[in-house]
Amino acid sequence: MSVELKLSRSNRIYCPNEPLEGKIVTKFPSSISHQGIRLTATGTVNLQVRGGTAGVIESFYGVIKPICIMNKSVEVRSSGKIGSGTTEIPFSIILRQPGQDNSERFYETFHGANISIQYLVTVDLMRGYLHKSLSATMEFIIETEKANLLEAPVAPEMVIFYITQDTQRHQLLPELLSGGFRITGKISSQCSLLDPISGELTVEASAVPICSIDIHLLRVESIIFGERIATETTIADGDVCRNMTLPIYVVLPRLLTCPTVLAGLTSVSLISLHIEKRDVYVWQQEEWRHFVEYSPFSIEFRVSIVISFQSELSKLYPKTDPKAPRLWRAMETVPLELFRTK
Amino acid sequence: MEFRARDYSAEEAAYSLPRVRADNHPLATRSSSRQLFDHDHYREGKTLLVFFDSVRYLDMLEETAIAASSFSSRGLTYSVDAKDHKNNDFFDPLRGPNANVAVFEDVQDGQSTSTRGRLSNETALQLSMKEWASFKRFLMQKFSVSKTVSISSMSDVIVKSGKAYDKSSTSMHLEELDDPQKFAEEDVKVAKLLMDTSVLQFYPALFVLVTDVIDMLGDMVWERIKRKAEYAENGTKFCSLPDNFKASDICSDAKETCYNWFCKIGSIRELLPRIYLELAILPCWRFLHNQPQDCLQRLVMMMRGLADPLASAYCRLYMAHCAQKLQPCDRGYLIACVNDIKILLMPIVSGNVTTKGNSLENGKLLMSLSEPMIEWIMKCIFKDSSQVEDILVELGLGRNQSKFSGTFPSISIVLHHLLKELPAEVVNSNALEIMHLIECSNDFSFDQCLNYRLIGFKMCERRPQMDIVNAVVAKVFQVVTQYDGLDEYLKVMDAYLDIVLQCQLDNYLTMILDGISKRACNRRIAENELGSLQSIFIKLLTYFNDLEDAFALNHFVKILDVMYGSSRNVVNTHILNKATRNGYIRDPTTIQLLFEISQALHDGIDFSNMKEDDKQQPARLISRFVQMVDYGADMEHHLTFLVECRGAFGSINELKETLVHTSNYLAIKAMKDANKILNFVKCCIAFSEVTIPSISARIGQINLYLETAEVALLGGLVSHSDGLIDSAISCLQNFDLTDGSQVPFDMDGILSSIRKICSLLVMVPGNPERGVTYILRSILSFVSSESWITPRLRIRTLCAIVSLSATLSQNKLPYHANNIEVLGNDLLFVGDPSYHQELASVSGSVLQNLIDVIQQEPSRAARGSIALEACNCIVSSFKVGYMLLPTQLELIKQILQLLNLSNWEIFKEAISSVWKAHGTHAWSLESTMLIILTICESNPLVNHEIAQICSKLVEIAKSCLNANDKYLQSTVNFLDKQSTFWRATAVITSQ
Repeated sequence: MSVELKLSRSNRIYCPNEPLEGKIVTKFPSSISHQGIRLTATGTVNLQVRGGTAGVIESFYGVIKPICIMNKSVEVRSSGKIGSGTTEIPFSIILRQPGQDNSERFYETFHGANISIQYLVTVDLMRGYLHKSLSATMEFIIETEKANLLEAPVAPEMVIFYITQDTQRHQLLPELLSGGFRITGKISSQCSLLDPISGELTVEASAVPICSIDIHLLRVESIIFGERIATETTIADGDVCRNMTLPIYVVLPRLLTCPTVLAGLTSVSLISLHIEKRDVYVWQQEEWRHFVEYSPFSIEFRVSIVISFQSELSKLYPKTDPKAPRLWRAMETVPLELFRTK
Repeated sequence: MEFRARDYSAEEAAYSLPRVRADNHPLATRSSSRQLFDHDHYREGKTLLVFFDSVRYLDMLEETAIAASSFSSRGLTYSVDAKDHKNNDFFDPLRGPNANVAVFEDVQDGQSTSTRGRLSNETALQLSMKEWASFKRFLMQKFSVSKTVSISSMSDVIVKSGKAYDKSSTSMHLEELDDPQKFAEEDVKVAKLLMDTSVLQFYPALFVLVTDVIDMLGDMVWERIKRKAEYAENGTKFCSLPDNFKASDICSDAKETCYNWFCKIGSIRELLPRIYLELAILPCWRFLHNQPQDCLQRLVMMMRGLADPLASAYCRLYMAHCAQKLQPCDRGYLIACVNDIKILLMPIVSGNVTTKGNSLENGKLLMSLSEPMIEWIMKCIFKDSSQVEDILVELGLGRNQSKFSGTFPSISIVLHHLLKELPAEVVNSNALEIMHLIECSNDFSFDQCLNYRLIGFKMCERRPQMDIVNAVVAKVFQVVTQYDGLDEYLKVMDAYLDIVLQCQLDNYLTMILDGISKRACNRRIAENELGSLQSIFIKLLTYFNDLEDAFALNHFVKILDVMYGSSRNVVNTHILNKATRNGYIRDPTTIQLLFEISQALHDGIDFSNMKEDDKQQPARLISRFVQMVDYGADMEHHLTFLVECRGAFGSINELKETLVHTSNYLAIKAMKDANKILNFVKCCIAFSEVTIPSISARIGQINLYLETAEVALLGGLVSHSDGLIDSAISCLQNFDLTDGSQVPFDMDGILSSIRKICSLLVMVPGNPERGVTYILRSILSFVSSESWITPRLRIRTLCAIVSLSATLSQNKLPYHANNIEVLGNDLLFVGDPSYHQELASVSGSVLQNLIDVIQQEPSRAARGSIALEACNCIVSSFKVGYMLLPTQLELIKQILQLLNLSNWEIFKEAISSVWKAHGTHAWSLESTMLIILTICESNPLVNHEIAQICSKLVEIAKSCLNANDKYLQSTVNFLDKQSTFWRATAVITSQ
């Protein structure tokens, strides 16, 4: 005895203005009667901390319930009977009424470390008081509709960077400071989600042999203070040749990235508020709801170019946080705007 | 019992076939047809070139100095000798079939290369995948990990990831493959193994193992996505992708899956596994883009991030392999690859950067490990390419600036493999610039002399214009004369020798030999140097038509003397081969030299330990040489030479036979030469006599004794001849004592020797002192006493004795010794009754035994046939009587009573009346008459015995054989006819 959901698209990606289509597949050994089949599509924002470090956050962990950003429900069948064997019941549910005010924001599906935006579709087959109702749930993915997307830029915007001992704000190995190093290159500052982060890099000089060069894609979720590494990609392994251009080519991880979400001034002030109050202020449920409903969170991305030099010291700290400033490490971080293109 | 009288000359005239002169001598045609053969092949131009090369190549199998240092998937890369083949005597038509195969393969190979463009992608792909498979095998073999590599501390990666690898190889089972995610994870682990280069020697083997696994992943992903693009979820096929499908042919679902794979691989943190896995699924880009080749350029760039030279070299190798699957494929990325490799290797070869372990040793190891990659990529670059010039420009060597500008720093090993792939024409047209380039790139990555050597071979392949040859050779000699080491000197000279010979640059030839002699003499030659020397000698020998010209070269013999071991043997073999090919050898110094060479060859062969085949060739060659020596009129000298040979080559049996033959030949020659005294003949015979006992094969000994005995007889030396025959017989008698029991006796051989003795005895004058039948009796006692002699052999020997006795009893023997001083028995014993009696008594004792011996033969069929054989022998040797039935005898008696025979008419009438009176129809008139006459003519009692034996034999045969047996029938007929024949004769003579 089973009820299953099958969406029309295998990748389960839908735009808000598209109907969510699919079929309900039931398999019963004998025919059963029901009191209606109901389909529900919901969208929720979850704020959570996974093994976080901030004590404050922990205090409201568990307090905040998922915040609902969408809830649509339709009855697919009124009460009746379903025959034995396999039965397929097609459905179609409109997520956003056409012509409705577009100001209501449909966030894209996103699974971050602290924020996740998830859309689910659930089918319920009600069978009265005596029987447990049968149900099935499936996640579907929302992406911004094509019409609202930007045209892909002809040439992605690039920033030029150069990294020397002078651009570093933390302490470096003495040999590096005296001997010097210079790494130059350019890297995308805007990037379509479908494209890799591109650019190039040249080690022009280095007094200390290079251990590796990594590109870190940082995701900044502003609901809590801090950033997380979404991906880490080595582009050079070992002491590479000088003056040979290395390409930067980082494929964006699909579920860990989404278009940059910025809430403009409000967001900035909120973040600053958040910073100010992080130690003392515990938000109440209502305040959080308010916070979320007015686009109060942001998801931003940055790219770090991290050069690790060969050093005996590095071996002493094998499990060190790659973002932490270290004597044997030089880095440059540039902001990256991600957007979805047609 | 009475011997039948025979007229041999009449019989010969009656039975021989008429002789007709043949139009062509079957052996004489050989030389002309060979020329034709040569010519035909010559016309085929290039094919022939390859043909000769392959022949040459076969011959130089041992000479692998080059092959050892370089890899070539086709065997013939180096065997390039563009000799003037018209004069090439080396060519052996008997080798044709063998070498033809090689040609065929090679030509096919060549065709497939040239037509590859027209082949379908699929076939070309399969072809290149085959090449790759053999390349991998080569890698595994060349860098076999079976040797122990001592490692001070096992790196973590190996230990940890070793487990991962085990796991993944076991997880290669099908059920695991259902979960592509998991599979890919395992593959990442496997690919990570390649990040570890701590034990350099392991790397190639590791590479092969790992790439095997991830290739499998690549194939699976390809199949999976292709399936998605062709089949709907429910398994129905909705489209069939053509070979050259476009990205637009692919449904979005399949594209999505494909994109997912690239995302998954793109998110691998480490650079090396990320590149490897993307390469593995590289062909899948075709599902997404129409220009998937564009990715290669990026991947080449990404590899620059791999700082470890070995890891990055092998990564490029893998790319070259994977890119083959993207056909058609431009070679831009490969060029970029080579240019990057040069930048990567430059600091290492120039010593600016310290490699692991900091030593030159390690650097060299690194180079040798990287070499297959350079070679493979060069091969890919020049694969079916016609724009060689463009490639050179792209590689930075083009003629756009100052033609192969020497300013471009080049690495020896890269240069080598580039040159190796360049067509000979291109090398020729840029020879001088290339020389300059080689001169500039002298580093430890590859021995510079091998590059010079390579140019030498290329020039032989297609000979450039004379001025270029001169300039290049001058340059090379200038460089090479600086070399102190013999090895490198030889390696280069070996390559240029052909061109020096062909262009007849004699002064250079002298320089080469001088140079070798200066460096080689007074020191021990190393193994690899021997290989080069061997090749040089073989080239010289092949070039000179006349061996004496080669011997006349400065230092030739001196250099030959410094060689040793198997190379020396090979060269010696070649010399002897050549020496014995062109007819007799007459020059005494050449003979002396060849004798010494033979001696060296003989001493170099371990006759006790070698396989039969290995020692046969030298033994045969030495024998052939001894055979071909000819001192002309100076026969004494020749005999002395034979004596020397006997001393020197004691262990070659074959040779001793040759010596005996030759000395016998000398004796005959001396006899023909009227001036020669008998003493020399005696010397020759004595030499033979002394030599024969040392031959191990008994039958050979017997035959040689007989041959010598015949020669002695021819020389009138009857007592010598007797002695030799005695030796032969005692040899025969000692048979069972010496020849081991394990070898079954060669019965036919013994029989033929016995028959030979018998036929010789026809000529040998009987010795009255010992009795004329002394020898016959010894043979008889031998065959009847030895238990190992089979009944068959015994019967045949008895028959031979009977035949001989019958022959000796004739008034005129069928043949005589070709010497007037030697009288035959027919003249010696004219009218001597005791002589005939003795012969008859020998035959008589034979006949007594005959039936008993035949009964001993176990096999029925054999028994029947030897009975017939014996019967035939007896019938042709003796007069046969006629067995009369009692009624017939009665009849005859009546006739005799009735008739008083006075004339023929009455006689006939009388017979017919008797005949009528008896009313019998059994006999014809003629036969009746003949029977009567028979009885009247001869003594019926004597030949009655013979008739009895014959009829017994026929009975035995009838009991053993089918009545329809042809042999039986013909024997019965013969018997009948013989009796009729001589009875008719009797009738006619009585008239």
